[in-house]
Amino acid sequence: MPGEITGGGLTTVDKYYQDYGCRARELKKQGKQIIGYLCAFTPVEIITAAGFIPFRIKGDVNEPITKADTEMETIVCPLVRSCFDMALKGKYEFLDGLVVPHACDSICRTYDIWKYSLNLPYAHFINMPHGTGDASLEFYQEVLNTFRTSLAKFAGKEISDQALAEAIKLHNQNRARVKELYQLRKASPPLISGEELTKVLIAAMSLPVEESIEMLGGVIDEVKGRGALFAQKPARIMVIGAQVDDIAFIKLIEDSGAWVVADDLCPGAREFLASVDVTADPIAGLAERYLRKIKCGRTYREMTGNYEEYLEDRFGHMGRMIDDFGVDRVVLYIYKYCDPYGFEVPQIKSYIEAKGTPVLYLEDEYSMSTIGRLRTRIQAFLELLVK
Amino acid sequence: MKSQYFAGVDIGSTMTKVVVMNQTTLASVIGPTGPEHRKLANRVMEEALAKARLSFDEITYVVATGYGRINVPFADKQITEISCHARGVGHLLPEVRTVIDIGGQDSKGIKLKEGRAVDFVMNDKCAAGTGRFLEVTAEGLGVSLEEMGRLSLEAENRVEISSICTVFAAQEVVAKLSEGVALPDIIAGLHEAIAIRIYGMVRRLKIEREVALTGGGAKNIGLVKALEAKLGFPVLVPPEPLLTGAIGAALLGKDIVQEAAEKGETLVRSERRLTEASIFT
Repeated sequence: MPGEITGGGLTTVDKYYQDYGCRARELKKQGKQIIGYLCAFTPVEIITAAGFIPFRIKGDVNEPITKADTEMETIVCPLVRSCFDMALKGKYEFLDGLVVPHACDSICRTYDIWKYSLNLPYAHFINMPHGTGDASLEFYQEVLNTFRTSLAKFAGKEISDQALAEAIKLHNQNRARVKELYQLRKASPPLISGEELTKVLIAAMSLPVEESIEMLGGVIDEVKGRGALFAQKPARIMVIGAQVDDIAFIKLIEDSGAWVVADDLCPGAREFLASVDVTADPIAGLAERYLRKIKCGRTYREMTGNYEEYLEDRFGHMGRMIDDFGVDRVVLYIYKYCDPYGFEVPQIKSYIEAKGTPVLYLEDEYSMSTIGRLRTRIQAFLELLVK
Repeated sequence: MKSQYFAGVDIGSTMTKVVVMNQTTLASVIGPTGPEHRKLANRVMEEALAKARLSFDEITYVVATGYGRINVPFADKQITEISCHARGVGHLLPEVRTVIDIGGQDSKGIKLKEGRAVDFVMNDKCAAGTGRFLEVTAEGLGVSLEEMGRLSLEAENRVEISSICTVFAAQEVVAKLSEGVALPDIIAGLHEAIAIRIYGMVRRLKIEREVALTGGGAKNIGLVKALEAKLGFPVLVPPEPLLTGAIGAALLGKDIVQEAAEKGETLVRSERRLTEASIFT
C-alpha cells in the first residue's frame, strides 16, 4: 500500500516492532486476509501470489509461557512454545490461516496442536524433505504444487504462473533491499547498529511485501542520509543461531562494548541473502531456493568430499561473512531444545575457531530472566585476550 | 612519585571480598554478601581502608568484579570475575594454565595464557556443581559447611549421589540417612557428585597443568581431593582462595593506570564517592 506509510524509515520500523501485528490488524479491517506462518521455510511467494498477506508468527521473550504449557510438552523448544503461547493469548486473532513447514521437529510435531487449538479456516502443513539430493528436490516440487493447489482452493481462484512470477519478483526485491542494508554494516563503525537492523527485519516480517520494500527503502535512505552516527567500539561481532525475534539479546551485546555487524540468523542473513532464480516453472526456482540455497541446520546436506570440504560446504558462507564484514568475534546463540542447531554447535564452533576467530557459545532459554548471566559471559568474552 | 594504591572489590553471590594493594596486599576483608552488604559495599571498603590506614582519596583506582559488580558506585571500572580471577591467579601462581573456581552460585573454568584469560566455561543456571549444592545438602545433614571437608576424609564406603540436580540430591541424602548410611560416606558422595559435574564442564577447555582451585570450594579438602582424583594430579590452591578475584581486580586497575601513564593519557576516575548503591532505593 504505497503512500500509506508516514514518519520516515526508522520511526515506522519502531511502530511496527513495538506493536507487532498492528499493520496486519488494520489490513484485516480493510478486508484483507492474513495467513500466519512459522519459520523462514514457508514459501511466502505462494501466499502473496494467492492474494493473501503472509505474516510471520513470532514469540515474546518478555512474556512468560503459561497457556502453551498445558498443551505442549516442555521439551518443545521455548521459541515455538512462546509463539504458540502468544497465539493462544489472542495476539494473532486476525489470522485467517496457518502454514507450517516441516522445519525442525519442534515445529513439525506440534502442527496438529496448532491446527486443533487455533481452529482457523485454513491450515496447511508443508512436508518439506530434509535431504538436498535430486530425489528430494523432485519430491519437494510436488509438495509445493500440493500447497499451491490447496491454497488456491481456499482462495477460490487459481494461482497462475504469472502471479507466482510476480510474487517471486517482489520478494526478491525485498531481499535485495535487505542486502543493501547489510552493506551499511560493513563500515567501521557500522552505519546501522545491530539493534536497529534487527528491529527492521522483525518489523518487515509483519508486513505485506510491497510495504516491506517501501519501508526498507525509507530506512536505507535515512541511514545513508544521517551518515556516520556511531562511535568506534573495540569489537565487531557476528551472531549465529536459530531465530532471534527480539532486540534484547543484540542490545545486550552492543551495550557491552561491541557492534553486532553480521549474523547468520533468522530473520537475518540466512533468510534474506538467498534469492529465488527465475525459472520457466516458478515452482522449480522456489524449490531450489528453499531446499538448497538457504543453509540452515534443519536441512541435511549430504556429505561430499573430505571433512574440511564438507564443513566448507555447510558453513563456508559464515566464513565469508566473517571476512567480508570484518568480524573479529562470533557469538553462537542457541535455545535449549533446539534440535537443528543443538547438533550443529561443535562443527560450527570448530569451523570458525579453525579460521582463527574466537567463538562464545551460549545456550539460552528464550526469556529475559537470563539476561544477567548472559551479560557476564558476553562481557568476559569481550575481555578475553585474543589468542 | 607519590605511592599508588589500588583496590579490588569482588561481590560474589555469597561473600564480599575487598583488597587494597600497592606492591603487595596491604589489607583484605572477607564478609558475607547478604542483602545489606550488597547495598553497602562502601562499608566493606571503609573497613579495608581502615585496616590499610588509608583514606579513600589515596586510592588511585578501584575495580569492581563479581556478580554484584554493578552495585559498587565508587568503582572506576567494572570487570568480570573471569578476567579478575585469571589476573589474580596468574600473579600469585604464574605456573598455572587452568583455573577452576567454585563459587557460591556458579562454577567456572578459565584458561590462562601469559597471566590473562583466553577462554572460559561457566555452569548454566543450575545449582548442581556449585557451593550452593553443598549448602543445601549440609542443611539436611545437620553439619556445617566447614566441617564437611574433614568429615568426608573419614569415608569408608562412599555412596553414589545424583550429580544432576541439587533438589534431587538433597532428597537422596535424606533417604541415605534413613537407611543408616554413615555421615562421612554421604559427604564423600556429595563431593564426588560436584567433582563429576565440574570436571565434565572444565574438560571442554582442554585442561592444561598446572591447575589452580579458587573460590569457597577450594577451602573444602574433601572436594579438593575428589577433583584431584578426577584430574589424576595434584592441584594448587592459593593461600586465600577467596581473594583471587579481588586481587586480580586491583591488579587490573594497576594495569589500566600504568597503560594510561605509558600512553600519556589522563585517567578519568569515577566522580562518585564512597556511597551506597542507589539502584536499591
